[in-house]
Amino acid sequence: MTVKDLLNPHPVTITLEETFGGALKILLERHIRALPVLDSAGIYRGMFYLYDLWELLLPKAATLEGANVTDLSFMPGSLEELREKTLAAGPRSVIEFLKDKEAPAIHPETSVKEAILMLYHHDGVLPVVEKKTRRFLGILTPWEILNRLHDKE
Amino acid sequence: MHSESTAAQVIFGWSAAWVASAIFVAVYVMVVTEKLNRAIVALLGAGLMILGGVLTQEAAIRGIDFNTIGLLLGMMVIVGITGKCGVFQFVAIWSAKKVNAHPMGVLVMLSIVTAVISAFLDNVTTVLLIVPVTLLITEELKVKPYPFLISEVVFSNIGGTATLIGDPPNIMIGSAVGLTFNDFVINLTPAILVVMAATLVPVYLLWRKELVTTDAAREKVMRFNDREAITDARLLKQAVGVLACVISAFVFARFLHLEPATIAMFGAAALLLLDNFQRDAEHQSKNVHHAFAEVEWVTLIFFLGLFILVHGLETSGVIARMAHALLAATGGDRNVTVIAILWGSAFLSAFIDNIPFVATMIPLIKSMAPTFGGAHALLPLWWALSLGACLGGNGTLIGASANLVVAGMAERAGQPIRFMAYLKSCFLLMVLSVAVCHVYLWLRYL
Repeated sequence: MTVKDLLNPHPVTITLEETFGGALKILLERHIRALPVLDSAGIYRGMFYLYDLWELLLPKAATLEGANVTDLSFMPGSLEELREKTLAAGPRSVIEFLKDKEAPAIHPETSVKEAILMLYHHDGVLPVVEKKTRRFLGILTPWEILNRLHDKE
Repeated sequence: MHSESTAAQVIFGWSAAWVASAIFVAVYVMVVTEKLNRAIVALLGAGLMILGGVLTQEAAIRGIDFNTIGLLLGMMVIVGITGKCGVFQFVAIWSAKKVNAHPMGVLVMLSIVTAVISAFLDNVTTVLLIVPVTLLITEELKVKPYPFLISEVVFSNIGGTATLIGDPPNIMIGSAVGLTFNDFVINLTPAILVVMAATLVPVYLLWRKELVTTDAAREKVMRFNDREAITDARLLKQAVGVLACVISAFVFARFLHLEPATIAMFGAAALLLLDNFQRDAEHQSKNVHHAFAEVEWVTLIFFLGLFILVHGLETSGVIARMAHALLAATGGDRNVTVIAILWGSAFLSAFIDNIPFVATMIPLIKSMAPTFGGAHALLPLWWALSLGACLGGNGTLIGASANLVVAGMAERAGQPIRFMAYLKSCFLLMVLSVAVCHVYLWLRYL
């Protein structure tokens, strides 16, 4: 079995023109954690994650590679302050938040075990793209795999 | 002097001095150009010293100063474990609140805290602990972190100069010459206190206009709960206790007849024991693995290789020739030699790694003892070497490891520190600090 047999070919996607605020609204309405971002030709350009919101709300030093900040209990914070930060980032383009490296794309030919290994390491949403063209084909999440496992029982 | 090299067979019957010099120069060039990781370069060079027949393996191992390696390793383990309890974050936040979060006050306090911590811990570790808290504070204050980061770099290099254990060059000098923790405190700390005070003046003048914030932003920092920064109170007590014992042992080392490596390694073992006491085997394994993973093995391996390389130079007679050349240049005058070493070390250390430089200078200065009337007469030269090599690191962005570590973090935080911008402000700060040391050495020893 390969990813081709498991992927969800019709997930919600957004385009490069989408704003941070718009993308957040879709995540909230659909109760999902990530949105594939495609260009006008349907080429996969990256993933917008709910994780990007956490990164925005945290101090920069807390998410800085190598800074090793593991505890912020000494820093108070109010919901109002966090809301202001979220609203201020609303008009920014999703392009600013794309981090393709965090979730490498997989291909229809990728084996199911390799896909599970990647989900184990990334615990999220894996974009499925054509190997050569990076044309977007769908996504693979833990739910697609769980559903298939459940079907067989 | 040549007994060890003659035991080995130099390839093709070439001169041991030429082979050793060629290998050493090649290693130096590779280290300076940073084309290859410095640990790889030093190990390759050390291997070539043996394969080239300059040293036998036994001679190479005799050349390694295990006192320096042990001291560095022990302190790295202690610091790695101590850092987990949040004590450094606590001190940084506490000091920022003591000045009511006024940006200039915070900058001065964090600079002093960095210098004091650097006097006892490795400079890179110090900035790795202080810079993230600094970024948290400056973000809340809505001021540019740049002046804070630059100042912390400068003060980490200054503070590291103050004691035997603050900076690798001091560890190497102390170990090679038999100078104690107290010798460094008595001879270098007073100079460093003056350098710190003198450096704060231009730091204030350079950045006072940029460091302005609002009362609301200051209030945010004042709401930080410094006590909450302590993440493991049990570990804090253990670490502070062990650190206090280790530093006390350094102070009384001569009386206790203990070498620094023994003190640091035993301290590391004691802290590991306390941190793992009554924990199950799996937890212990994880903890110990983590503690040793924090050790900068690249630095230690670099030291190993370097000691072998310098030993190759020494046994082949190159160091003695270099010493003669330096003495000829200074006319055999001790005072001129002291000042030449101070300024020469500072300018060279601003551009090249001060560790290989000091490793080369140690046997070179030692060989001057007969000229200047014995080992005791060399003391001012050792202080000049330490002050020049450690403070020189402030001259450029590539002058010391701490500078590069902070530059890397600043870049990732979107506040890049450029080479020329750093040079413009910090080279003069370095010259000022060396000038202060020049006066200090002149008044006290010459």
